[in-house]
Amino acid sequence: MGSSEKRSKDVVMSDIPTFSAENLQKNLKVIQNCRTFLSIIAGVLAGIIGFTGLTGFVFYFVVMLITSVGLMAKAGFSADVYFDSWNRVLFDGFLGGLMSFVLFWTYPFNLNIWWSN
Amino acid sequence: MAEDLVLDTAIRDWVLIPLSVVMVLIGILRYFVSKLMRSSPSPDAKIVKEGQVIIRARNLKAGANFIPLRSFRTRRLYFSNEENGLLHVPKGQGTNPQAQMFSDPNMAMDMMKKNLSMIIPQTLTFAWVNFFFSGFVAAKIPFPLTQRFRSMLQNGIDLSTVDVSYVSSRSWYFLNLFGLRGLFSLILGDENAIDDTQRMMQMGGFGFDASKSLGAEKDGLDIIQHDWALPRFEQRAESVLRKLVK
Repeated sequence: MGSSEKRSKDVVMSDIPTFSAENLQKNLKVIQNCRTFLSIIAGVLAGIIGFTGLTGFVFYFVVMLITSVGLMAKAGFSADVYFDSWNRVLFDGFLGGLMSFVLFWTYPFNLNIWWSN
Repeated sequence: MAEDLVLDTAIRDWVLIPLSVVMVLIGILRYFVSKLMRSSPSPDAKIVKEGQVIIRARNLKAGANFIPLRSFRTRRLYFSNEENGLLHVPKGQGTNPQAQMFSDPNMAMDMMKKNLSMIIPQTLTFAWVNFFFSGFVAAKIPFPLTQRFRSMLQNGIDLSTVDVSYVSSRSWYFLNLFGLRGLFSLILGDENAIDDTQRMMQMGGFGFDASKSLGAEKDGLDIIQHDWALPRFEQRAESVLRKLVK
């Protein structure tokens, strides 16, 4: 995400926000990819560790929060430069990854590799 | 938990994994097929021209504050002038594009092809699942749901005392259907992330209705208040240059 995260806001004329829509979209896509990937990994992890029920969902939200923190750190804690609002960085795509998380969480449960019922 | 069912490894080998693998492969196949079958429509000159006009109008809207007031007004007049403005569409021609689209065989074929390529694999897979894999417990989902979901998740299983966590293969199919969306968006590249469910939502609003979008752009342009954003840019340029030179 290093070189691909582009400045979407022009800093010279700093009192009028001007956004380069193309860069903004690219940055959003990067966020979405990160979240999807991490939700899949989190799902597999939750399945292997053996979370059940509510614990698993809590784990998912914990991982999403870690993702948000990571993304913010990558954006240098100044979302203004790269995105149009903080909410995008923090909360976009939370629920989109949920279905993937559940699917990949179910996989280890049923593959019976690590433990017997 | 009422009882702990031990699921046969044969179920795992012959149901769960093949179903997932098949769904992934069908998704990939559908992506490539749709790529191959996408016939490039011969562009109609009039429609292309109108599209470009719309793009220009949008650029004007976006950059309105960076040009002086008079220039902006001149440009806006060029677009929305009543007699020969580019965006002004006489009322009579309003409904043509819609009718044109349906009678144009190319576009109708395109839409049908797209719809078919989406619906057929889904239907076939669902029928296959129902035929081969019904009537037994297929998987265990790691979280408990309430009893109301029992009829939805366990529709092949006729025992009512089995825990709702044990689901039939039909629900495994649906779980895969929704969960593999994320996977597809990662492996197929970003522009093909959408699949069945989202495309079905988009099916409702197709149609490039040129006259309506022209009218919308015209209204949008008319609404804009010009706010001159660079009032003192000479001073600001001077200060920036000074900073650089220092």
